[in-house]
Amino acid sequence: MKIFDSLVTSNIRQRPLRSAISVVGVALGVALVMLFTGLTRGMSNDLQRRSTNVRGQIIFTRKGSMNVVASSANLSTKYVERLRQIEGVETATPVIRHVYASGSLGFDQIEGVDWPEFARMNDLQMTGGRGPVANDEVVIDQVKAARHHPVGSTLKIFGDKMYKVVGIYSPESGARAKLPLASLQETLEATDKCTYILIKTKESANPLEVARRIDQELPGNNVQFTRDVFASVESSIPSLGIFLRVLVALAAVVSALVVMLAMHTTITERTREIGILKAMGASRAYIVGEIEREALLISAMGLVVGFAVAFGAGFVIHKSTSLIFEYGWTWALVAAAIGLIGGAIGALYPAVRAANLDPVNALAYE
Amino acid sequence: MGILKAENLEKTYRIGKLDVPALRGVSLEVEAGEFVAVMGPSGCGKSTMLHLLGGLLTPTKGRIVIDGEDLTAASDARRTDIRRRKIGFVFQRFNLFPTLTADGNLRLAERIHSNGAGNPERRREILRLLRLEDKMHHKPLELSGGEQQRVALARAVITQPALVLADEPTGNLDSENSAIVLNMFQELNRRFNQTIIMITHNPEAAAACGRVIQMRDGHIVAS
Repeated sequence: MKIFDSLVTSNIRQRPLRSAISVVGVALGVALVMLFTGLTRGMSNDLQRRSTNVRGQIIFTRKGSMNVVASSANLSTKYVERLRQIEGVETATPVIRHVYASGSLGFDQIEGVDWPEFARMNDLQMTGGRGPVANDEVVIDQVKAARHHPVGSTLKIFGDKMYKVVGIYSPESGARAKLPLASLQETLEATDKCTYILIKTKESANPLEVARRIDQELPGNNVQFTRDVFASVESSIPSLGIFLRVLVALAAVVSALVVMLAMHTTITERTREIGILKAMGASRAYIVGEIEREALLISAMGLVVGFAVAFGAGFVIHKSTSLIFEYGWTWALVAAAIGLIGGAIGALYPAVRAANLDPVNALAYE
Repeated sequence: MGILKAENLEKTYRIGKLDVPALRGVSLEVEAGEFVAVMGPSGCGKSTMLHLLGGLLTPTKGRIVIDGEDLTAASDARRTDIRRRKIGFVFQRFNLFPTLTADGNLRLAERIHSNGAGNPERRREILRLLRLEDKMHHKPLELSGGEQQRVALARAVITQPALVLADEPTGNLDSENSAIVLNMFQELNRRFNQTIIMITHNPEAAAACGRVIQMRDGHIVAS
């Protein structure tokens, strides 16, 4: 076929190792961008999805008792009764939120709740089994159940301690697994303690005014809106945006450097051929164009490999851990632009250098 | 009609602090359809003259006009353009692209010359004349030296250049293949009225040409 008999494609095929290294270099940058942004987006969206299903509008905590990756049970459950008596509060229920290391990668969280009250407040329905009663019973949401955890199976949460899955609920809300509050209090040696108290206001009440009232009557604690506490991961970790931008820039530099090195080497190897092109009347633009086309083709192959690696790795990581990857078109386009532009810029210097070679010296090159 | 006119060409190379003259005032006129041999001892300036005529080098002094276009007054880009349109090169070492087939090498020349818009009739005729029809899908390393030089010759003439410059085209060939290639140069010259200037050390090759120019010490001593 004619397309395989052009200088661009024949050079790529003629030097398979050099071409493969360049492709891998570009693919690495693309895959890194896709995986990191996919993970951030996936975890953020997952957290937001689950937080929107929490119906209690207000969260009452001790200062510093809860953040994205850790929490402690240091709030007395005695506050529950006092909160219920505040005007505008419909109901209040204590929750222990415990974050623990999960498998070899990442972390996971579990909640200890007074199940009947918590389920009623958040409109959770059992789709299978029943609510947890005994201290070694756990209920999980449908997403977790889909990962080979049917009713009747067991879950290992604290060291070797096994919990029996007695029910599956829907929709997903907060942590994917919920134990009886007493169970978690006992395990964490936090009798009569919780991490936060979830408050649902009466329909007729203004949540902002209720929050002000709680703050006045129980000063020195944190009174926050649920939507603010379960904010996106990006806004919870202030430097994440900068980190992502640095990552993207690094990926671009890696792609550009790998392609530049590869094209620089190939130009040196092909000095004589460039002399022949010049003798045949190829203009500088033609020579730059040929080298750029080769770099772009290599970059395009790198893109395909990079996307395939990102999707494959994302799938494997998701299957073996609880990490969620969600790829967006915007970042996919950014990754593609990085691969292509990085490759094109990387090839520019070798291309211009080739175009400026003296034809007689190039023809005499051994 | 004069297809090439070179007037008082001088070329001096600067090597370190030394000026080394390679051409010392060469004047030459070649008519369309001439087949000219350039002979002379090594270092007499033959290759320098060929590179100047092909626009690969610029003269220190003098003027070159090819097919009505002044090569010496042109910018580098313009010289490249004149070379693209008017000149075909044949080298001693064939200088084919090893990664391309014979066909790919010819198509590359057509692409550079006219963005791939070749003349199919001329292409067929040249391939027939050079007996290359069945060699088109071979890469250079799969061809003999004589076949490679015939492909190089086809590449040089396929774009209908006004002038073919050949630098010892039989220098790397055995006598049998030399004779075949020379015969093909003659055929091209006769059939297409192709103007050819050929550097050679071989008196038999020179004998195949219509005119022989002798050079020595940067001068033309006989024409």
